Amino acid sequence: MKSNPGTTETRSNLTASGGGQVTSFESLQFTDEIHRLILAPTTNNASSLTALLELPPPQAIELLHSSDSMKLIAASLPNVEDFKGSFRFPSNTGLTEPDARFSVFSGEANNSNEKRHSPESKNLSANLEKAVKSEPAETESSQPLVSDPTVDKRTIKRKDRENKVKGSRKKSKTAVNESSEDAEKLPYVHVRARRGQATDSHSLAERARREKINARMKFLQELVPGCNKISGTALVLDEIINHVQSLQRQVEFLSMRLAAVNPRIDFNLDSVFTSESGSLMDSNIPGLVMPAMWPEIQGDGNRQQYQHQWNVDALQQPVWGREVCNNYITPENSLLTYGSSANSATLQANQLKMEL
Amino acid sequence: MRPCNSLKLEFLKNWIMGLQRWSFSKKEMGILERKKAIKLSADIAMASARNGTTRWSRALIANAYSKHDKHLVSKGASTEYSRRIRSKKILKRSCRRIRRRSKGLVRERTRILKNLIPGGELMNEGSLIEESLDYIVSLRAQVDVMRSLVSASEVDR
Repeated sequence: MKSNPGTTETRSNLTASGGGQVTSFESLQFTDEIHRLILAPTTNNASSLTALLELPPPQAIELLHSSDSMKLIAASLPNVEDFKGSFRFPSNTGLTEPDARFSVFSGEANNSNEKRHSPESKNLSANLEKAVKSEPAETESSQPLVSDPTVDKRTIKRKDRENKVKGSRKKSKTAVNESSEDAEKLPYVHVRARRGQATDSHSLAERARREKINARMKFLQELVPGCNKISGTALVLDEIINHVQSLQRQVEFLSMRLAAVNPRIDFNLDSVFTSESGSLMDSNIPGLVMPAMWPEIQGDGNRQQYQHQWNVDALQQPVWGREVCNNYITPENSLLTYGSSANSATLQANQLKMEL
Repeated sequence: MRPCNSLKLEFLKNWIMGLQRWSFSKKEMGILERKKAIKLSADIAMASARNGTTRWSRALIANAYSKHDKHLVSKGASTEYSRRIRSKKILKRSCRRIRRRSKGLVRERTRILKNLIPGGELMNEGSLIEESLDYIVSLRAQVDVMRSLVSASEVDR
């Protein structure tokens, strides 16, 4: 499930950020959890987490104050009060994680329905204790709940939150990859900024572009021989340019050689396939395709001879070559119905037009 | 990364059909002309083996159509693309400030790469790298096929 890597990243983010602010999370992987939390049956006040969430904030703070096991929460109090759409963490690094949860809970109490009020402080403390031990996954997934009650508009709201929030976020390649996959469905690409870098939309988009380009450069490095050891975009590009130039030059030379070998353009084809079959067989081009084509294309009396010759050689072909041949023979069989060379010429012309 | 055999087959098939067209023209050609014809038909064959899925192939076919013999390329494959390219070029010419002084090594090399790949000047950087990847694979297949053809025909002599 996709939420697991996301949650572990955000967990490490929470512990590592320390004094930083934790921001909302945009990836789709949390929607399931969000939905679950929204629709979670709030049956029992004592046992369910969401019961706590339905408290109005001042009451929650009071109860937090009163509970004796909640020294942690006390540290988070000043931050909780000015919470309105943003999350603040106490400077107490050791208590970062549990504090986050509590600020979330009180924050959620803001937006949630106030149908029920927790009757007893005992219940509440029990809930709070349970809340401490609850998974951070719920914390993080519930965060977007607070600042964006309507989950339907989460894409737009997330982008706005992204722009508003200052501070550091952790960049994760998996998040980018997922977001780039999601980008095909969503109009926005969600990325996370690196720690300590600017988070305005331009630099984020630029960073996403850079990531894409770097991923493709890795493919190119694997493709071009000798590029694996080189690091640095400029040198890799150098190698790629050299490779492309050398390939293009090779094409030129080979075409010159082909032109020099044969006086006519299609003479080379005749000579190749009549006289020397072995080299083509051995090479990676299955020459087996040729006999299927040549009898029709040549259109002369040598047809039978070619077919016979190639059928003998066909037995020695590897199996895959034969399979390929089967694919090619059936469309070419239609050409057999055209007897004269004139017809075959026009047919080839049409076929070339179709292919091109 | 070896090019797959289906690509080579497709290329060879297209190429031979293209060469057949030249044979029906029935005129004497010098060696240079023949070489040009061979190379051109090979390039078009390679580009058409891609079936218009990549930008460089479409650019190559469109260029070939506009410059060289029109009978080699069918009209339908290139007009729509050439129209789009023409409008793109006009736009680029009007918007871009011409800066001859190249900034940085990467920019310089990107410019060179753009000149190498057919239709590369009109691509942005990301798609340029993607296209060059595909172009390299296709060129390799082309070279392999031509080389084996040359060796086959030269052994005969």
